[in-house]
Amino acid sequence: ALVSCHRHYRSRPTHGIGRFKYLLPKEAPKKKKDKVQMKEIDVGTEHEYGDLNIQMTSYDMCLVEHFAQYVHRLCNQLSVRVKESYAMPTKTNEVLFLEERGSKMQLDAVLTTHQRVVQISGLSSTFAPILLEVIQSNQPEGVHLLVKEHTEADFKSRLKSRPELEELLAQMS
Amino acid sequence: LSSWLPQMVPFRGSHWQSSLLGLRASLLMRAQPKKKKKVDVKREQAQKDRMKKKIKKLEKAAPEMIPIEDFIAPLKYSDNSRVRSLPPLSFEETERRVLLMKKWCLFKQKQDKAEKQAIQTLVAAQQEALKELRLESEELYQAAIRRDEGLFPYEREGPSYSPPLPGYDPPEGKCVDITKVYTQ
Repeated sequence: ALVSCHRHYRSRPTHGIGRFKYLLPKEAPKKKKDKVQMKEIDVGTEHEYGDLNIQMTSYDMCLVEHFAQYVHRLCNQLSVRVKESYAMPTKTNEVLFLEERGSKMQLDAVLTTHQRVVQISGLSSTFAPILLEVIQSNQPEGVHLLVKEHTEADFKSRLKSRPELEELLAQMS
Repeated sequence: LSSWLPQMVPFRGSHWQSSLLGLRASLLMRAQPKKKKKVDVKREQAQKDRMKKKIKKLEKAAPEMIPIEDFIAPLKYSDNSRVRSLPPLSFEETERRVLLMKKWCLFKQKQDKAEKQAIQTLVAAQQEALKELRLESEELYQAAIRRDEGLFPYEREGPSYSPPLPGYDPPEGKCVDITKVYTQ
């Protein structure tokens, strides 16, 4: 072990050979707890749209995920800046139907609705209709497309609700 | 005090009694004027401080994101006991599959290239039209360049597998939302 040691003694001219970390730019210390903070919402100028959310909803998870991947790659290729690409929480619905002869509601199916969001910004006003056209023509069946501007309410819907805090705040005011 | 009330009714016009309901309160106030006021104010202040402290403590904790069930694999799939045993494929079958995959890749590549070509032609045509419009009138060009406020929100349903059946009578029923509500 000692023979294979490559360290050179401090008095030797080869001391410190192989050091390189001091040449690299300094990294900010990584915080273990990354506070979930909302990124600033871009409003956009007269010729450019601000933050836009392309929301894709469907009952079929694989289809919606593949479509989201496709949209993301398309934006990358067309050099449209993709700010964020995330999934919204899944919604579960129980479908009950009334039997033909009977008054009892019978369980038909349990459906899960999946939603994926691709957030883009800096879309120019001339290119927007072209992008929409391309996305529409590749829309798979059963996938509902919604393109809207990003708001704070959209971000807040991803966070957990805090009933205690809301109660206390209501009591205060 | 309650036995006083029927007697006090004809005296409603007197100066120290504004209403029947205020009878008890006014009498109490006159008996013990100052002590109760201070204690109430202090208690209220203490309550408010406690609430403010609680709110501060709750607000310190960062808001958490709702975990997405799609990305959490259910435990029953992590069980390694079930193993699929497929029969070995013949040479012709593997060849057929490989050739089919190559044909599919070529088809998709052509499709993708055609799409990119279409986008390029669209952009070129748009730019040319805008150039001509600029030569025609500067005002119209500026108006065309602006962003469309009515474009968003834009909604579109995906194409369905079959058109809606004419005269279809759906059974009566309802949808119940059973999504798990996460609280912090």
